Formats: sequence, structure tokens, C-alpha cells
Amino acid sequence: MDKFKEMIAHRHEYAKAWKARTGGKVVGWFEPYFPEELAYAAGMLPVRVLAEHETDVITDKWMYAACYPVRDIVNLILRGRYDYIDGYVTVEGCQWMFNAFEVADNNKKAPFTHYLFLPDYTDAPTSKDVVRSEFEVLKGKFEAWTGKEITKEALDNAIEVYNKNRRLLRCIYELRRADSPALLGSEAMNIVLASQVMDKAEMNQILEKLLDELEDRKPVGDKIRLMLVGSETFDSRLEELVESLGGNIVIDELDTGSSYFWNETYPQRDRLMALSLRYLGRPHNPIKDSNWRRRPQHIFELSEDYHVDGVIIAKQIYCHLHGTDNYAVWKLLRERNIPFLFFERDTGLPEEDTELRLEAFMNMLRPGLTRLVGWHKAMSL
Amino acid sequence: MTKEYGKWPESGWSSETIDWKKAKRVAAGIDIGTTSTQAAILCDGELFSYASVRNGASFKKAAASALSGAMGSTGLSQKDIHASAATGFGRKHAPFAGTLLDEVHCHAKGARFLFGPEVRTVVDMGAQSVKAIRLYDWDRVRDFMMNDKCATGFGRNVEIICDLLDVPITEIGAKSLEVDSEPEPVSTTCFTFALTETLGLFGEPEFRAAPLTLNEVYASYLFSVAWRVLGVVGKLQPLDVGDIKVYKELAFTGGLAKNPGITKRIESELQVTALESKYDPMLAGAIGAAILA
Repeated sequence: MDKFKEMIAHRHEYAKAWKARTGGKVVGWFEPYFPEELAYAAGMLPVRVLAEHETDVITDKWMYAACYPVRDIVNLILRGRYDYIDGYVTVEGCQWMFNAFEVADNNKKAPFTHYLFLPDYTDAPTSKDVVRSEFEVLKGKFEAWTGKEITKEALDNAIEVYNKNRRLLRCIYELRRADSPALLGSEAMNIVLASQVMDKAEMNQILEKLLDELEDRKPVGDKIRLMLVGSETFDSRLEELVESLGGNIVIDELDTGSSYFWNETYPQRDRLMALSLRYLGRPHNPIKDSNWRRRPQHIFELSEDYHVDGVIIAKQIYCHLHGTDNYAVWKLLRERNIPFLFFERDTGLPEEDTELRLEAFMNMLRPGLTRLVGWHKAMSL
Repeated sequence: MTKEYGKWPESGWSSETIDWKKAKRVAAGIDIGTTSTQAAILCDGELFSYASVRNGASFKKAAASALSGAMGSTGLSQKDIHASAATGFGRKHAPFAGTLLDEVHCHAKGARFLFGPEVRTVVDMGAQSVKAIRLYDWDRVRDFMMNDKCATGFGRNVEIICDLLDVPITEIGAKSLEVDSEPEPVSTTCFTFALTETLGLFGEPEFRAAPLTLNEVYASYLFSVAWRVLGVVGKLQPLDVGDIKVYKELAFTGGLAKNPGITKRIESELQVTALESKYDPMLAGAIGAAILA
């Protein structure tokens, strides 16, 4: 299992080795609505630009009071950590992330950059056509850049590889539904994160092998079952902290977690429309959910399906999207009597502070502390 | 500064009616906060003794000092204690503690011990943090909220302002209530801002129709503290959705609970009367730890 964590730590080396081996281009993407299949069909390696929380002394100039992940991303790009990336694509979404894309572009030109518009009202009747046309523009740009046509066969293959990856990740997540799951939340998070920076065909082989191994794996034991909701995270430190306190995150609703792979592309003759429907139909993230409010219900359904004892809502500081959406989530969880813990974090988790909150929350859920020691005495006061 | 105005005096007490030698279970709880430490000893669930001491540079020394203060001259020694637990910011610095516990549960338990089983909402206002805790009517925590990184240091800032204004911490609250009308509060965003703004109130008499009296300055500052606490309390799960009396059976714990300038303003905003206890509300964490040990 540690190999996935190592993979994330050494993802830059992996991408460089991939380039040297295949001679292909690496395209970095910022937002979860980026259609990776198009890049894959063009023979490129799509890589999610992840934050690391490296010491930052350069982004204050442009990005004061932005959330830490986007500042980290700009920091890493300007420091040259992502120099192997040949092009960047961002999608209409978080404005901080768009800011990161622009600042990076203004200060360190990549050979290829593209901004893809995606409407905030993902369920509007015309949205699918708008997105399809946007995908068509991107496809044309990729073709012009690589000098190679993206054929229907290549697109079919990409869709199949990606769908297979999503199915395999769903299988991994299915194992977490067990009363005593075979894997920990931190392990699952590392698998999903690794999947966002690796060649999917290669990742699929690893996942198939892993699923065989997990069948014989000893369960992790009885732990408090928790769900993680909130801003995207780029490592598994929070999950590890939860595990060190006797809990296990059995399901998440993160853009970097389950929402990344939750739905598949349903094939149809118009491949771009199929992709358009897939991306518009993915679990809504807060910025694409302001009108229909499907996200709280999705969170509730996941919490039911995975039998969670409580929900952790961890928001990145300065994340306005989750800041405004949280109240709708709180409201629904309260109405349905699902205990939750809310706190703010940044990419560098404040351990001592977070540990205290998590411990109190888990004690709240743990039946042991309800024993009535001293209670009869209190009654007599 | 020749005199320290911002510190609560150290205290200690032991029961004259309880004989610890006859107790089946002697339990000790210690609450190591950021500026002060409390130790409490329970004999068969009854409060036998306690001590409250100021921290120095070492949590470890403060913990040892509080525990020995609680044992005092009762003849009790560490080996006679059957169970012990530590809580608070410095809880990891109590090597003698058998269990480490979170503050939320300790304060909840302690508040019900001190204020009675009807407590449903606990607001713990310490030197470093504020916790609002909602309890079920049975013995279980239902929800809690803590202040974020911004606005930490509630209690410590009140101590600093007392030192700066040369007003004893035991008096600032009552004096702040001796005003004809509530003045405009100072900044509620950050206590550093609140502090400088409070000092600034002395420097601008020419901009006011009538200069603020000292009591009005205290009121202006303490209202900003109360307002910040209300922000934390307001995020709690309501007792019943749609029930307007959501903050009833309220108990204050921690050092700021002894400051009526803060508690009365919170009560007034929430339209409740807080429960009272014959014991020092600073002891809630230590007593809760002793119960749960």
C-alpha cells in the first residue's frame, strides 16, 4: 500500500520517466471538470497539478489571502517543480484556481495553455451542448498542438480505459463499505490521488492486482466510521490523524476523492456529447451546485450507504466555495441527525489543534464515554 | 508595572467532612490550561479537594504543583489515588496521569457536576480557546464548536487589558456593568485589534461629544469578547429545530466565567439566565477528568 504514497511523492519523476519512455507530452490540469479522455486520446499524459505545501515566499505578490493549495500550486510551478509539463488546461470553476492558472501563465509561459468554459448551471437544458462545443474546441486545439488527429478509435479507447479505472476505483471503495473494511481511509485516498497523476492503463493493471490482494487481506478491525467532506486535499495526513485516534474514514466526498471517479461515461455515437454528459453528471462540487443543491443529498446518501457514525467537514481556509455551501450541508445533516465536525484547515494540517477536535468528536461518537460514572452523584446535587 | 492585575489568585480547598481513607475510589483529574492549571480529587464521586495554580514556563511543573496543592495537608499521596486523568492544552505533560482526555467531554461532565444534571449548553471560556458544547438530556455530548485560529487567546487578552488599564481582573466585569448605556463595542474580528482599539479610546476625546468613562471603556472591550463567544455558541446544533429557546440551561465554565461583564452580556443577548454553582467554574475541566478517569 505504501507504493501509492510513494508514487504521489515521486510523481514528478514518474512523469519525467513517462515522457522519456514514450516521447509524449504531459498536460497539467487544475479543475476536476477537465476531460482527461481527450488528452489521453491525443497520446498525452494528463496530470493533476497537486499542491505540496512547500515553503512559499513568492506568491504573496499576486495571491494574498487565496487558499493555500492554489498558492502552493503557483509556488511549485514558478519554482520549476512542474517544468516537465508541456501545457496547462483549466476549466471554469474556482476563481482562486483560475487565478493560479493566470499567474502561472503570466510568469512562466508554457508551450500550451487553454481555458475551457463550463457553465455553473450544470443541469440547465443547454449546458450539455455548450460543454460539447467547448470540448470540440479543446479537441481541435490538442490536434493542432500535437499535429495528430484524435480518431474515434483513440477516443473510444480513452473512454474505455478511463471507465475501467473508475470501475476499479469503485471496487476499491466498495470494500470500504464492509463492517470491518480491508483497507484504511488513508490508503484509499493515496490510491485515488495516485490515479490522478499516473498513466491510467498502467494504473488499471496495478489496481486489478491490488483488488486480488485485498481479497485475502485481514480487516483493519472495528473503528469509528467517518466520512470526509470539504475542500480538496492533496495528501492523506488528515486520514492518518483520524486513524491514529481510532477512527477510519470509510468514504469521502472530495473532488480529489470519490467525486473524481464516481460516474462513468456512457458510450454514444457522439463521443463528445457522451463526455459532456459524463462531466456534467459527476457529483456536483459547490460551485456547480448553487441552483439545484444536489450536493447535500449526495453527501447524505453516501453517509447512509457507508454506515458512517459521523461526518468530518474540513474546509480549506479562504475556500469561499465550501464556505458558502457548508451551510446547506450543515442544515441537511442536522435535519437528519447526523453528527458532524466542522473545522478549517490549510494544506499543512495544524496537527495539535485538529487532533483535539477530532478526538473530542470521536469520543462523542464512541459509546464508551457514555458510561454513567459519577452521574448518580451529579443527580444528587 | 509593579502590580499584576490580570491574574486570578491561586486557590485551594479540601473537604473537612470527607475521609479519603474510607473512600473506595479516589480519582484525580487535572486540567492543564495555557495559563493556569487546576487539579481536583474526588472520593467516591464527591469533591474532596482542589487546587488552582498559575502556570510558569513549564506545564510539567504546573501539573505537579496543582496536584500536590490538591493533596495539600490531607495526608493523601499519589499512590493512594486509584485513577487519574489529564485534560487541557498541556495534558501530555502530566506523566502521572493514567488517561488523557479531550477537554470537551471533561468540561461537559464537570459542568453537570458543578451546575446540576439539567445543563444542556456549556460555554467554556478559557485563556486560549472557547468551546460551546451542547448536551443531550441524558449523559452524552450532542454537538460542540470551538473557535478557529482567529480569535484565540480570549482569556489571556482580558488579562493583558487588565494589566494595561490597571484594573483588577476580579473587578473589571462588575465595573463594566456600571454604565448607563452600552457603548459601541471595539473590534470583534481579532483580539489584537480589540486591544489596540480599546487603548485608542483614551486618545480621542476630541472626536466624541462626551469622553468615555473608564467603565465604558471596559464595557466596550468586554462586549467585543462576549460578541466573539456568541459567534461560537451560535454555530451549535439547536436543541430542537424551530425551538427558539435553544440556549436554555446554560452554564459557563473556565476563567472568563467569573467575569460578569462577559457572562451577563451573553445572557442578555441569548435571553437566558445562566446556572450558578457554589464552586469555582474554572474547576469544571479537572472535575470532569476525575469523573472520567
